[in-house]
Amino acid sequence: MARVGVFVCFCGANIAGVVDVPAVVQEAKKIKEVKIAIEYKYVCSDPGQQMIRDAIVQNRLTSVVVAACSPRMHEKTFRKALSDAGMNPYLLEIANIREHSSWVHQKDKKAATEKASDLIRMAVAKSIANEQLHEISVPVTKRALVIGGGIAGIQAALDIADARIPVTLVEKSPSIGGRMAQLDETFPTLDCSQCILTPKMVDVASHPYIELIPYSEVIELQGYVGNYKVKIKKKASYVDFSTCTGCGTCTQKCPVKVPNEFNMNIDKRKAIYTPFPQAVPNKPVIDAEHCTMLLKGKCGICAKFCEKGSINFKMVDEVIEREIGAVVIATGYDLWDPKPYEEYGVGRYKDIITSLEFERMVSASGPTNGVPVRPSDGKVPKNVVFIKCIGSRDEAKGIEYCSKICCMYTAKHAILLHHKVPDSHAYIFYMDIRAAGKGYEEFVKRAQVETAATYLRGRVSKIYKKGDKLMVRGEDAQIGQVVEVEADLVVLATAVIAPKDNPALARLLGVSYDKYGYMSEAHPKLRPVETAKAGIFLAGCTQAPKDIPDTVAQASACAAKVCGLFAGDTMKKDPMISTINNEFCSGCQNCITVCPYQAIVTEEIPLGYGSKEMRTVAKINEGVCQGCGSCVAICRSMAITLAGFTDTQIINEIVAI
Amino acid sequence: MDYSKQIQEIASKLFAENKIDYFVGYKQNSFDDSQVPFLITDPAEIPKLVFTDRSVFNLANYLKPDHTKRKRVGLVVKGCDSRALNLMLTESQVKRENVYIIGICCEGVLNEKGEKAQNCVECVMPDPVVYDEMIGTPTGKREYKVNVDIRELATKALEERADYFESIFENCIRCNACRHSCPLCYCAKCCLDQETSTLYHGANTSSGAMHALMTWSLHLAGRCVDCRNCEKACPSHLPLHLLHKQNESVIYENFQQHLAGMEKDDRGAFYKYSLSDPDDFIL
Repeated sequence: MARVGVFVCFCGANIAGVVDVPAVVQEAKKIKEVKIAIEYKYVCSDPGQQMIRDAIVQNRLTSVVVAACSPRMHEKTFRKALSDAGMNPYLLEIANIREHSSWVHQKDKKAATEKASDLIRMAVAKSIANEQLHEISVPVTKRALVIGGGIAGIQAALDIADARIPVTLVEKSPSIGGRMAQLDETFPTLDCSQCILTPKMVDVASHPYIELIPYSEVIELQGYVGNYKVKIKKKASYVDFSTCTGCGTCTQKCPVKVPNEFNMNIDKRKAIYTPFPQAVPNKPVIDAEHCTMLLKGKCGICAKFCEKGSINFKMVDEVIEREIGAVVIATGYDLWDPKPYEEYGVGRYKDIITSLEFERMVSASGPTNGVPVRPSDGKVPKNVVFIKCIGSRDEAKGIEYCSKICCMYTAKHAILLHHKVPDSHAYIFYMDIRAAGKGYEEFVKRAQVETAATYLRGRVSKIYKKGDKLMVRGEDAQIGQVVEVEADLVVLATAVIAPKDNPALARLLGVSYDKYGYMSEAHPKLRPVETAKAGIFLAGCTQAPKDIPDTVAQASACAAKVCGLFAGDTMKKDPMISTINNEFCSGCQNCITVCPYQAIVTEEIPLGYGSKEMRTVAKINEGVCQGCGSCVAICRSMAITLAGFTDTQIINEIVAI
Repeated sequence: MDYSKQIQEIASKLFAENKIDYFVGYKQNSFDDSQVPFLITDPAEIPKLVFTDRSVFNLANYLKPDHTKRKRVGLVVKGCDSRALNLMLTESQVKRENVYIIGICCEGVLNEKGEKAQNCVECVMPDPVVYDEMIGTPTGKREYKVNVDIRELATKALEERADYFESIFENCIRCNACRHSCPLCYCAKCCLDQETSTLYHGANTSSGAMHALMTWSLHLAGRCVDCRNCEKACPSHLPLHLLHKQNESVIYENFQQHLAGMEKDDRGAFYKYSLSDPDDFIL
């Protein structure tokens, strides 16, 4: 005979404010199997848990129902309370009377109370059919994969490798460094971006625990936390890195010139190129889309001049496999394309540029040797207008969110402009100045005072050409008047957006992403580094727009998570997974096609007892199975059972109401 | 449409070359002009094989039992039958090398009244989609139309429809002939026979029959090829095609015009998971 204990939580006023808890308890006492039903202010508190433990022992309970908040919050807490009292933790059942009742039915207290009683009746009925389950232990592969070699990926890889855990760092482009390598100086201290970044890049290349795979992409991930198998496609670079010395003769001799994406297409690079002088690895690659030899079979000048014979036009893409235990996603960000701002003349007027183009111009290693110039005539601008919130906070044309870093980098640009062109003047059109951060507000002040930049609060409505100047018409909301500024150069602070490949990568890795394409964290406050998929973590702008300090902090947090995961030799795994009764399995293999985790394989079993003839049936790999239940739903002959959610349990629940 | 000669020739050739152990075709019934399925192991019986517009049954059903599954079988299939066979191949119920398929480019078969059967009038694929040898001239895929009975039912009021189905389910005697006659109902243990399936119990009540038939039709949703073997087998003459055709029309509309068994390795609308599936409805 089942003996069930029911513990109903007030959750302060969260539940008790709407649901009549004493009435619910009285209702629960009427159920035949319920031996004890108690209410308590906070069941999750220590005395609350003690109450459960005592009740289990005193009433010799066979299962426990806690009517409280979502199992996502406290299922683990109460399972532990059960096992502390010597009971199998999976004999616990949670009736979610907060999210499923009190929170959603605040206006109808009577109905909410009735629903709470129903939910408890269902949980009691299910708990009677609950079986004792035991945790599964699986081995761990101690190697981490970091996707993306920007500052986030670099920091995560270095921190993990410093804990003597091997890391594989995969970077899409020919060199690591990412966006930070493109920046000139960084706010709020104005230290040179490359000067602080390049030592870290070199550390990555020389670290004994880091395997750097540049110019490659992740194409497949299989397995489960602690035991992933990843396939990485190494794109053909047409240069043998093992013999290339990086002398640079090939890049000098190459006759093909193409726009240089590292410099935001302001100048040209060659078809065989290293992205920038400090690149790591400092070896060139051939751009197959533009190389005449690869396109037309003529040229091959680079190969003629290469003393080491490192150039191999017959190289093909190569797929390599690694066994890893955890993944850090650090794919960075892209910039919003301001084309929809037609009233500004974007695309028509050459002297309207984006912030990253300006950044490359003021960079000492940039295409203009650190001097900002007008793209139309090459003259040094005197009056420069900066317009913030281009694409961001703009529901009509761009995206709704604030891209966080533009206020700060625009202040930085004003200061840099003042340093490079002392007799210039900066006008900044802004909506708000958001400078929350250590030393940030002071930095904006510095821009306003030291460089005497004119901050104009208001949106720009139109830009038109007058002679060789651009007339910027906007509103100054503080004086309530329309203002016009004669500008030599206009810089648009374009929004930070998620890389366009993010959704595809997210699907490939099996993690979720939001409507903007950013990867979703498991909990916005309490689990900001983890994804909902165990063993996959997020660093930097792949999750949301971030500045460098936040990115580095999150990357180190990822490293701490990875180290924590790899602390033991085995991992415990939830036993709520599928099992197949192969007597009932007809071998149609539909479960294999619907399984999102590739957790089902086939096996051959004898046709009957002692039979020599074999038949094919499905088999669950219990290490891989996550207990989603897709296979259970698809199996027509009901051969698959999900532990903790058996048909008997579910039917009991339905019958109870 | 009379392909008896060709089929007899192929059957003798297959037996002579020792390519098959069994041959499954049709035989003339002894008491009227209808035909019955005919399984032969002895070449002496080959002259009894016929194929005309009275060859109504879906012979793929005879690949279900264990003894035929493991033998080499020569099989006569029409367009719809070949689609069912295609699904059986995809779902690993039949090994392709074990079956020699004689595909007929079908011109439609007759119903009991001697008229062209409804499913043949509405047929989308009269040619075999999988075969080793083809008889007749292929005429290609035809346009899909929603079943005439379904269209008519849709015009009726909800209560009227409910009453109509109630009257259908009332006459079900739960003999499971529909299940046994269906080539795609091959499960080792049918869910309707399991002890845990308490919801389907209640044998001969109309609600028990409703649960059973609805479950059965949902298990065939996206897989049913409209061969109507089930209707031919039903001793109560229930219009079982209504359940299947309704599912088929909904799936055709919502699952990129999916029709069961038309392509090799196509598992049916509900049994696929693809990265390109729309997931905009997921929160």
